[in-house]
Amino acid sequence: MTAVWSVALITFKEGIKNRIIFGIFIIALLLFAATTILTTLFMRDIVKVAVDLSLSTVSFAGLLTLLFIGVNLFGKDLDKRTIYMVISRPVSRSQYLIGKFLGIVLLSFVVVAFLGILSAIPVILSKRFYYYPEARFDWWIYFIAVIYIFIKLAIVSAIITLFASFTSNSFIALVLSLVAYIIGQSTESVRGLLASQVEKIDVSPILSYMVEIAYYVFPNISAFDLKTQAAHGLSINPSYIIWTALYAIFYMTIAVVIGTLAFKRREFP
Amino acid sequence: MAIISFNNITKNYKTGFRKKKTALRDFSLDIHEGEVFGFLGPNGAGKSTAIKLLLNLIFPTTGKAEILGRRVADREIKKLIGYLPENPYFYDYLNPIELLSFAGKTSGMDSLKIRKKTESLLNTVGLWSERKRAIRSYSKGMVQRVGLALALIHDPKVVILDEPMTGLDPIGRKQVIDLILKLKSEGKTVFFSSHILEDIERVCDRIGILVNGRLVRIMDIKSESLTRPLEEIFIEEVEKAGGARE
Repeated sequence: MTAVWSVALITFKEGIKNRIIFGIFIIALLLFAATTILTTLFMRDIVKVAVDLSLSTVSFAGLLTLLFIGVNLFGKDLDKRTIYMVISRPVSRSQYLIGKFLGIVLLSFVVVAFLGILSAIPVILSKRFYYYPEARFDWWIYFIAVIYIFIKLAIVSAIITLFASFTSNSFIALVLSLVAYIIGQSTESVRGLLASQVEKIDVSPILSYMVEIAYYVFPNISAFDLKTQAAHGLSINPSYIIWTALYAIFYMTIAVVIGTLAFKRREFP
Repeated sequence: MAIISFNNITKNYKTGFRKKKTALRDFSLDIHEGEVFGFLGPNGAGKSTAIKLLLNLIFPTTGKAEILGRRVADREIKKLIGYLPENPYFYDYLNPIELLSFAGKTSGMDSLKIRKKTESLLNTVGLWSERKRAIRSYSKGMVQRVGLALALIHDPKVVILDEPMTGLDPIGRKQVIDLILKLKSEGKTVFFSSHILEDIERVCDRIGILVNGRLVRIMDIKSESLTRPLEEIFIEEVEKAGGARE
């Protein structure tokens, strides 16, 4: 456990001290400021707009952190052989990979926690200055949505870990992770569209089959998007929270275990 | 008992579809306790491959490598090994204190011991005054010295150094030589590769010359006094073995 925790800690420290993170924070702060200004342009549902944009900013900044820092935390180790320093110690390949994954998850936790708290400012301002009594808003739901952004990023971290375990360079891992994210974000909608057959368009059985496979292979990222519920103050069913959280844990475990198995056989010439 | 033992190791690398390159051929070597063994060879001879096999960074195609009588895949054995890779690269945004703390913890040391050892090692390699600077601002020679400190933080029995003099100025080189001699006086076993024949001659008890993946000669340079310069012997052995691959 010491080895895993030591790798996680050193990964987190390397990530949090990276200069790119300051750039990401500045972008996020500018987007929060823009949110505050943009909400003045709306006549109605101002709080909803503020909630939607604030949560989108947290999610976007978290994703940038993972793609630009998280992927590199693996990539540099493998490309520049920093991994020699770790694997030549009493740290197994599995411990290294799990430690790296936990370090990146810790990094996304800190980013989401920090920006999640800051994201409340545009919402508070919109509530204070453009209050209208019929608006439904619940801070509890808002922060559940923030926690779900973190869970979504933890799943993306597991995907990065999986791809980094067998790809030869960080760029390939970045592209694959991004593709997996985009597919994971849209499979539920595409599947729903095909099932509904609203337009009565003929879809080939092969395509339907491929969508079905993608739905089960790639993580259902959209299930963790609770922006609509937060913006409209809609209550969230506790069973939904439990099942999606279990799904996330299950998916992350599978991804990291497969990554560990691939990484065990990997050589570092 | 041999401290480091290579037994009939062959290592092939895949270089393409159905293509392979043999980096080590039927390589056997025993290194004894308290010995300083220098590994010589032209570029691409297989020196780094042999070292990486010892650290379990790569796996042999056939044969086995052992340290202190245990297979190198045994993770616990790594507590007793200190390793400096060739052209080391460490985490850019961390400082030496953070790196040494990581190395000490993963090697099973307690915090107090890590603190004491960190101070003494950073003083030895001349980096104590620079300890709070991130590694990214370090010169190549300074990074090399951090690597040496990392290799020695847990007081290992066996020290494996891959080209430890690379990138060092004459003062740095002297520091490394003094360090190797100090390790020898403490009874440690040192296995290192280098291109600098003069340094090898100064510190080694025995040397091995590796050409095209084959160990072509082992010389006990402390007991058999060299009648000819080492450089001449080295070039002769390389030419006899068919020249360097690169």
